[in-house]
Amino acid sequence: MEVMSNYIRMASLAWAAILLGACASVESARAPDANVHKLKSFYVVRVPEDERGIEKLIAARLEKMGLAASSGDADRPAEPVDAIVTYQDRWMWDITMYMIKLSVQLHDPQSGAVIARAEATRPSLQRKSPQGMVEEVLGELFK
Amino acid sequence: MNGMMQHVKSIAALAALLSLGACATASKPEAMVAPVTIPVNKIAADVVISVSGGKDTSSMGASQISNAAFAQALQESIEKAGLFTSVKSDGARYSLTGFIGKVDQPMMGFSMTVKMEVTYTLKDTQSNATVWTKDINSEYTAKASAAFAGVERLRLANEGAARENIRLALTDLAGATL
Repeated sequence: MEVMSNYIRMASLAWAAILLGACASVESARAPDANVHKLKSFYVVRVPEDERGIEKLIAARLEKMGLAASSGDADRPAEPVDAIVTYQDRWMWDITMYMIKLSVQLHDPQSGAVIARAEATRPSLQRKSPQGMVEEVLGELFK
Repeated sequence: MNGMMQHVKSIAALAALLSLGACATASKPEAMVAPVTIPVNKIAADVVISVSGGKDTSSMGASQISNAAFAQALQESIEKAGLFTSVKSDGARYSLTGFIGKVDQPMMGFSMTVKMEVTYTLKDTQSNATVWTKDINSEYTAKASAAFAGVERLRLANEGAARENIRLALTDLAGATL
């Protein structure tokens, strides 16, 4: 039993070391024929588990980029928009909690299909604030 | 002393296991081929397939699904099901594109669930009209018992989510009126 718990402890440490030492990356992709630059209004759907207000950070950053944006818990906005935004945030602990990965998708409001996506991964030593992660991912999405 | 020996043995065993299984491997096309039961030659024409939005796997990163692997799995699933008369590399009557819009993976865990979203579009290459489009969501959980190494469980979860996604897409496409 003690040997087993040693295995688990060492495996956790090794996995943590890999996560801490990996390289930062940012990447994006767009559906064929998608033009994200013609999109002017957005609605960000809050992830039910997200209690850090990432949806508000995304909406605020979109507004700072000169675009109209709102956010909320509902799957659909009250007013029509050009695109619906979804996201997944992943967090790790290393002295403090930090966002290790943020993925953002733009959906067509009619079909629900993903038309573009971007994501950034930043291990502990290259961590950024949630605002910094949002800025990086949206910059990549609209580049 | 006995405890110390156990500790050293644990470290040695773990080092061996890590060296054998820590590197991420890409999702395999053959493991993503979907079992679909539909009428043979349901669509009496040929098709060309292209996939975008996938990612390549780096040995130190997480297992990913590449465009080429997903396209190959999609092609083999279509051929196995006999949905079209044939799959060509170009010059076909229909063009089927798949855009991998989301592959939501856990960072770690015993059971690993991958959620996947792919948008499929079938176009008539003669008229350039979209004749069918569908956004498909799927997920698959690789349980702790599926593999010892986390990178292996993640690959299995990727492959399961992709297999289910292709199965749902082809089942829907088989029922569509073109």
